[in-house]
Amino acid sequence: MTETTTGPDLVQKEDAVHPKGTPHVVCRVDELPPGDRKIVEIDGRSIGVLNVDGRYHALMNTCPHHGAPLCEGVVKGTMADTAPHEYSYGRHNEFITCPWHGYEFRLDTGRALVKTERARVRVYTVVVDGDDVVLYV
Amino acid sequence: MTTTEAPRGATDELDLKRNGVIDSDVHPNFVNGIRDLMPYMSETWKTRLGISGDDWAKGMAAAQFTLPLDYLYINPAGAYRADAAQPGVPPATDPVFTAKQLLDPHHVYRAVLLSGQCLGIGAMPDGMVAATIASAYNEWMTERWLQEDKRFRGALVVAPQDPEAAVAEIDRVAGRDGVVAVFMPLGQILMGEKHYWPIYEACARHELPLVTHPSGTENVFAKAPQMAGTPTFYLEWHTALGQIHQSNTLSMICHGVFEKFPKLKHVIAEGGFMWALEVMWKLDRDWKGLRNEVPWLTRPPSEYLLDHVRFTTQPFVEPHDPRHLAPLMEMMHAERVLMYSSDYPHWDFDNPDRALQGLTPELRRRIQVETPREVYGDRLD
Repeated sequence: MTETTTGPDLVQKEDAVHPKGTPHVVCRVDELPPGDRKIVEIDGRSIGVLNVDGRYHALMNTCPHHGAPLCEGVVKGTMADTAPHEYSYGRHNEFITCPWHGYEFRLDTGRALVKTERARVRVYTVVVDGDDVVLYV
Repeated sequence: MTTTEAPRGATDELDLKRNGVIDSDVHPNFVNGIRDLMPYMSETWKTRLGISGDDWAKGMAAAQFTLPLDYLYINPAGAYRADAAQPGVPPATDPVFTAKQLLDPHHVYRAVLLSGQCLGIGAMPDGMVAATIASAYNEWMTERWLQEDKRFRGALVVAPQDPEAAVAEIDRVAGRDGVVAVFMPLGQILMGEKHYWPIYEACARHELPLVTHPSGTENVFAKAPQMAGTPTFYLEWHTALGQIHQSNTLSMICHGVFEKFPKLKHVIAEGGFMWALEVMWKLDRDWKGLRNEVPWLTRPPSEYLLDHVRFTTQPFVEPHDPRHLAPLMEMMHAERVLMYSSDYPHWDFDNPDRALQGLTPELRRRIQVETPREVYGDRLD
């Protein structure tokens, strides 16, 4: 029942080449090393920009469930679908976990890990432009 | 069959088969307790249980086994329908009278016998004793009831303390005419635990639904199912019994029992059912955040309950405002999960013609005829 497709959506690849929206410089590249994140406010919207193992992700900092500051949550992998009483951890660092109720969302698409959860987190394009980390909103 | 009394106008056997009520909880009783099982036990076991002959100490503690039940709670309503007893004949000890009082007037096509006074043997300290009693009961039920009137169908009883013996007993008795289910008396270990999995495997293999029921031993005996504290009064205790079934249902779902045994059906008899609503909703909500603990659940947990768990109706819900009944039934998916039961001959008997009166005819048919047919299958006919 879990979301198993990997890799960014096609529309995101397109966005990475010709990003939509207005560019905003978040910080210099060396100010956001792997494992770090920054919460920025743009036009009244709180957005989290994360560097996860050299990959950049940006998500709305609001959990669609109860409005928690999602981007303050832990980035981690998850348990694969397994037979009863067996565990298998994998997909390390593909998910962000809501700091309140523990819902897991894919960093790249904003989709919930549990397929029946219809709520989705808005994601934004973030690119490195020269020495800058640039967020498109 | 006294057709003039049949409320839905049964006119013949075919009509009874198509439209007759299926009652999923009827309790056949012993006249003289465990001594009724003596003809079905070896001399060795009769001696072991202290029931082989007249013993001066037969009424005293530790001189013989007694079947564990709720002897410490006193039901002021008497525990039985007053009219179920005849002079010198205790309630539901005579299949002919039982058929005349329950089956004929209420147009009952099949009545499933559950366990008599063996409901509580899961609390016995010695699993070998419980297994011996279960086997003897199955012989008694077959000879005394199933062979007497084919409208009686039975759930074979197993001892939950000893899964290996339970599987052997299922394999021994499952093929018998009239056997439609496996009855597992409840014990202290919650039902999702691997301890029980061999029993579930055998149920699934024989395509027999697993039936559980209040054991009548809850918090009276140390190895009985445990409630939160020991109630003082029968009223309090009887109402709190649903705790056990909630915990067992949660345990089975969370352990992935229905992923492991996709053919297993669990019938909860007389365990209530409205509690299942909150269980389903809360499980689904929390699962979204806690799935990593139980990654073998590949669907929202409520789906396992709706697909695999069935509830008998007695004692049926009586909301303060009768208008609330229909939305409750809709929320509960009553058309999928409920199966009619009378609990004859107990004091809180639900009359098949009256208890479900507030429901639509379509829903009554689902509950009294169709869903039980889906659960028991061809073994009913």
